[in-house]
Amino acid sequence: MNVLTATRNGARFLMLGSGTALLALPLFWLVVCVTLLSLAGIGLPLISPVTRLVRRLSGWQRRRLGMPAPPYLPLEGPLPTRVRAAVGDPATPREVLWLLAHGLTGIVLGFLALGLPLAGLNAATLPLWWRLTPGSPPSVLGYAVDSWPLALTGPFVAVGYLGVACLVLPTAAGLSERLSRSLLKPLGRVRLAQQVAMLTAARASALEAHAQELRRIERTLHDGTQNRLVAVVMHLGMLERALAAAPESTRQMAGRAQEAASDALVNLRDAIRAIHPPVLTEHGLDGALAALAARSPVPCTVETADFPRLPAAVEAAAYFTAAEALTNVAKHSHAGKAVVRVYLDGGLLTIEIEDDGVGGAQGGTGSGLTGIDHRAAAFGGRSTLTSPPGGPTVLKVELPCGL
Amino acid sequence: MRVVIAEDDALLREGLVLLLAAEGIEVLDAVDNAADLLAVVSAKAPDALIVDVRLPPDFRDEGLRAAIEARRMRPGLPVLVLSSYVEDTYASALLSEGGVGVGYLLKERVGKVQSFLDALHRVAGGGTAIDPEVIAQLLVRRRAGDPLHALTAREREVLALMAEGLSNTDLSERLVISEGAVNKHIRNIFAKLGLQPSDSGHRRVLAVLAYLRA
Repeated sequence: MNVLTATRNGARFLMLGSGTALLALPLFWLVVCVTLLSLAGIGLPLISPVTRLVRRLSGWQRRRLGMPAPPYLPLEGPLPTRVRAAVGDPATPREVLWLLAHGLTGIVLGFLALGLPLAGLNAATLPLWWRLTPGSPPSVLGYAVDSWPLALTGPFVAVGYLGVACLVLPTAAGLSERLSRSLLKPLGRVRLAQQVAMLTAARASALEAHAQELRRIERTLHDGTQNRLVAVVMHLGMLERALAAAPESTRQMAGRAQEAASDALVNLRDAIRAIHPPVLTEHGLDGALAALAARSPVPCTVETADFPRLPAAVEAAAYFTAAEALTNVAKHSHAGKAVVRVYLDGGLLTIEIEDDGVGGAQGGTGSGLTGIDHRAAAFGGRSTLTSPPGGPTVLKVELPCGL
Repeated sequence: MRVVIAEDDALLREGLVLLLAAEGIEVLDAVDNAADLLAVVSAKAPDALIVDVRLPPDFRDEGLRAAIEARRMRPGLPVLVLSSYVEDTYASALLSEGGVGVGYLLKERVGKVQSFLDALHRVAGGGTAIDPEVIAQLLVRRRAGDPLHALTAREREVLALMAEGLSNTDLSERLVISEGAVNKHIRNIFAKLGLQPSDSGHRRVLAVLAYLRA
């Protein structure tokens, strides 16, 4: 029973496979033609549509086998980009090879899968119809069936066919499947690269979403809450002026209301700065760091190389790291000067804060360094502190940018 | 005095118009974006501009840049820039354009109507009005051995107010001391900081600001 099910499944698999094989072989020759035409210089525009066809057919087979689609290079953009993507994709040569291998074996195996059951059926029913054929008698296994004894061997021959089918078809189907799988699955390094690319993209989009959220909150607080409060303060000021003739106590009330609103504004400004410093949005990381350095009690210089705008969350993390580090320097280092260095190397943003103070700094609970550690870790980065007694102290924080 | 206002928040814009009108200051126009501001400046001849730093479309520093542009069109045109928060670096951007008739204040200073009007008049008269918070930021950063440490508390106070752009008369009113006492403090400050004692007025403010920003 088990054998029969396996045989039936194998036959079905091979028969359906012959369908793709019938398409695969012409497509293989089309690929060969386009390759030759491209070498002659006129086939280039055909490369990406043909690659699309190859990918589609491979995609059918992958779906049949329950395999995921590989990380194709997208066939988009100007012609040279598309050609590079089609030719340079590591999946392309393997898929073309699959076209040939599957095309050749698939058709043969498909015939086998269709032919063995048909031949079996033919033989099994032989006693029913051998006399009905007009003209020459039917033949089975090369013998002309022209007598009852011969005709009655038909069912036994059919059992033989069934035995052969049970022996051959499951194995053939397994081999055909393994052939397709091995050629259509992405190489190990490609899979890893795909995962890295996916994770990088996910991180970038998460960072970007986070950044947009920060900007939205900042904008809401800034244009909504802050401006409303300023309006309150302003109108209370006008009220105070208009009340010139009113009793002192009334004017005091207006004044107190104004003070309360002013305090709220100061708090709100601090909150906005803590969420996402406006100076970052407007002047970028280097501008914001320059402003930070200018405000540092310990004279501080900033050294930055030119780099593009980074995801807002990373810029903010770098900014807050530098801010906390400089606060630590001012509190504990007794330094005469500090340097903030920022550079971008291969998607990794490094912030280095060095001071010429007494050294001996230690990370640990309660120190500002813990916060810096946590922030770096939250971004998949890390921080290292070197602070021998006598200094200098160098805090180095690396943040991946999702670029 | 005839002023033009650029502020994108309708409530604030109308409030400002109301406030200035009540104080007898003519508002030529009140616009909500930088392009309209520049159009008004070239069409009419305002005595001063009051400009919000953040204006559409990007809400970054369009207002600040429009103010600087307006001063290119009409050199010396007094500009009072209002902002929801202040950064000493932005003040530097304004002051580096010459610094005559320039103001940079937190928006909410408008609520202290009298001192806001004083600041506006000072700027319109070619003076300076720098927000106390900017001065505070500038005063934080001091190295060991800085001559500023030699100043008395009172002298630091005088220095901060002077940096904001207040005149001697303003100073004596604010600190409730005689103008003679103010003069004495200022002489002492200049001596301690090693600055050339310049005449009262704008150049003195710039000298002090330049010292603080150095």
